[in-house]
Amino acid sequence: MNEFVQWLSATGPSLYLQIHEAWTLPVIQSLHIIGIGTAVGSGLMIALRVLGWVGTDLSLEATQRRFGPWLTGALLLLLVSGGLLIVAEPVRELITISFWLKMFCVAILAVVSIAFQRSVRRNGPQWEHVISARPGVRLAAVLTFVLWGCIIILGRLIAYDHIWGHLSPATKA
Amino acid sequence: MDLTSWLKGLEDSGVASSLRSSLYYFPFLESVHVMALAVVFGTIVVVDLRVLGLASRQRPFTRMSSELLHITWGAFAVSVLTGALMFTTNARVYAHNTAFQVKMLLLLCAGINMAAFHLTAGRNVARWDTAPTAPGVGRLTAALSIALWIGIIFTGRVIGFTTTGAQAKEAPAPVGDFDDFLNSAPASSPVPAQPSTGKSP
Repeated sequence: MNEFVQWLSATGPSLYLQIHEAWTLPVIQSLHIIGIGTAVGSGLMIALRVLGWVGTDLSLEATQRRFGPWLTGALLLLLVSGGLLIVAEPVRELITISFWLKMFCVAILAVVSIAFQRSVRRNGPQWEHVISARPGVRLAAVLTFVLWGCIIILGRLIAYDHIWGHLSPATKA
Repeated sequence: MDLTSWLKGLEDSGVASSLRSSLYYFPFLESVHVMALAVVFGTIVVVDLRVLGLASRQRPFTRMSSELLHITWGAFAVSVLTGALMFTTNARVYAHNTAFQVKMLLLLCAGINMAAFHLTAGRNVARWDTAPTAPGVGRLTAALSIALWIGIIFTGRVIGFTTTGAQAKEAPAPVGDFDDFLNSAPASSPVPAQPSTGKSP
């Protein structure tokens, strides 16, 4: 990992972002937060609809059609802006425990979201009353709120990785 | 009491001191601030896109706004509380920070914009509630709302880049006499900012 970080820091795109960091970092980070807001907003709409707390005038399938593409689009924006942030500051991002814990949460959330989208596509009408009533499904919907919370906290902690003490690889550097 | 001493009082308050004393409080406040902001932005955009007629065109506007806006307001209250607590830790620096001032101005504009919506398109909502789009003025305020919130996010992020490690400059000691004043000029220097860690905030 250290060798990769060294190599990445010396590449042209990374150097460009580093030299112009006065505007590149705030702009990319803001795009990343806009992506988070859009993803959390759409994810919230879908999860709240699964729980039956919001938007019950729209069927679950229609809710998925309305917000699913926005969630996917926001995740793409997050992937691109997050990728650029790694290129801009490889050490700050990759040599932290916060980043890798965040990626772990992102992976779980991705699996839950993909499983949900597939199931709605396959058994659409059944979701309305049968599947969305299952305790496990409702728990998963609530779990997505917790995951988003963890992702945001861990994302912010990348800047404060020293609070993990000896668990942070940054403190060993 | 003037503004500077009031801000200094905020910094010296028990709350601000205890927030500064811990490694964990400030990152925690920032994280909760981002979570609340994500919910505020996410739900506002959903409602604004409905007003613009770009999404959820077939759903009644009042149904969506009544369901979502109390989530928006709850999250907004959390972001104001966490923002205010962060502000107390370094009040004078934030108050003099351009990005912070612009952000507050944009928040004020967002409030005025919201009032403008309620006074125009919001007045005759019954007429367009189930129509695919709001009247022109309503659409304008919805577009402005999205733009303002993007500006609020950007200026908010810039605050972190322009204040981290900065300390308020203490007022120079009162000048004794005119000779002292002449001699003191080269000797006095502002409090140096903390050395940069080379990492973005």
